[in-house]
Amino acid sequence: MFLLSLCQWVDRTPLSAMLRQSNWAFPALDTVHTLGIVLVAGAIMLVDLRLLGLALRSVPITDLVARIVPATLGGFGLMLVTGGLLFASEAVKMYESPAFRIKVVLLALAGLNALIFHRTIYRDAARWGSAAVPAQARLAGLLSLALWIAIIAAGRAIAYGPGYDLG
Amino acid sequence: MAGWSLLPAFEWLQHTDLAETIRHSAALIATLEIVHLLGLTLLLGTIMMIDFTLLGWGIGRFPASKIAIELNGWTVAGLAIMLISGPLILISEAVKCYRSPAFWIKMTLLALAIAYHFTIHRKAVLAEPALRGNVKLAASVSLALWIAVALAGKGIAIFQSS
Repeated sequence: MFLLSLCQWVDRTPLSAMLRQSNWAFPALDTVHTLGIVLVAGAIMLVDLRLLGLALRSVPITDLVARIVPATLGGFGLMLVTGGLLFASEAVKMYESPAFRIKVVLLALAGLNALIFHRTIYRDAARWGSAAVPAQARLAGLLSLALWIAIIAAGRAIAYGPGYDLG
Repeated sequence: MAGWSLLPAFEWLQHTDLAETIRHSAALIATLEIVHLLGLTLLLGTIMMIDFTLLGWGIGRFPASKIAIELNGWTVAGLAIMLISGPLILISEAVKCYRSPAFWIKMTLLALAIAYHFTIHRKAVLAEPALRGNVKLAASVSLALWIAVALAGKGIAIFQSS
């Protein structure tokens, strides 16, 4: 299996060994990753809630998106780096973790949802004004909200898999 | 500290039926921890939005007071979710928490953060933009306090006296 061989190779790299042998690398990366996802998802959820008409109704959606989305993309980059290093420290374990696989699929779906939203319905957002948000945009917000909640849940669940001390 | 200790209270908490039920269910603990994390997401997301606005990195012409008022329900909801799930997690491992310095640091920071949020921070939000410099300091303290609460929470799991 190609993915398994790839993960086995990752586990044999010096970087992976270095991360495993360090007492502080994993907890430090884990802490930055967790705090980062809370901040990134917290910001994205504000946009989702706005699309659903549940928060910040007086703020135009285009203003909110222009402010939040670029910042979340930066935060997301940090998530990819810390997440990638966490993965590299135990790649085969992640390969075998159902929660990790679910999280990767959910992340892809969240990215796809955001991409479709920005490439289609959002093009007309400037014209929504104070009028109601179109149903397709509300659906994108609802999907995003659900996906990010599930991503956080799946990410936390990785730590409950076999081989972890639940403390 | 001789003769006076909260330990018996924490031992009692851990042996209540509710605590035993939670402790013996991996699914319940996992659910509570995930709910706690989602509450934090809501809380930090809304507070970050308010404080960034105070710092001048907000949305165009929208004052922090307006943002804060419109988000207040979600901030309080996030805090409420944390204040319900948190104690349930706490009692399920009360003695471990009692022995954890990170736990006591977190509780101290949390008390400070909550008191600060509903007093000084609220005043700063309503005063903006009249007191620009002080308002920025107030926003920085708010962000630092809440992030410190979150980090101390993570610290409970990381620094365990086995």
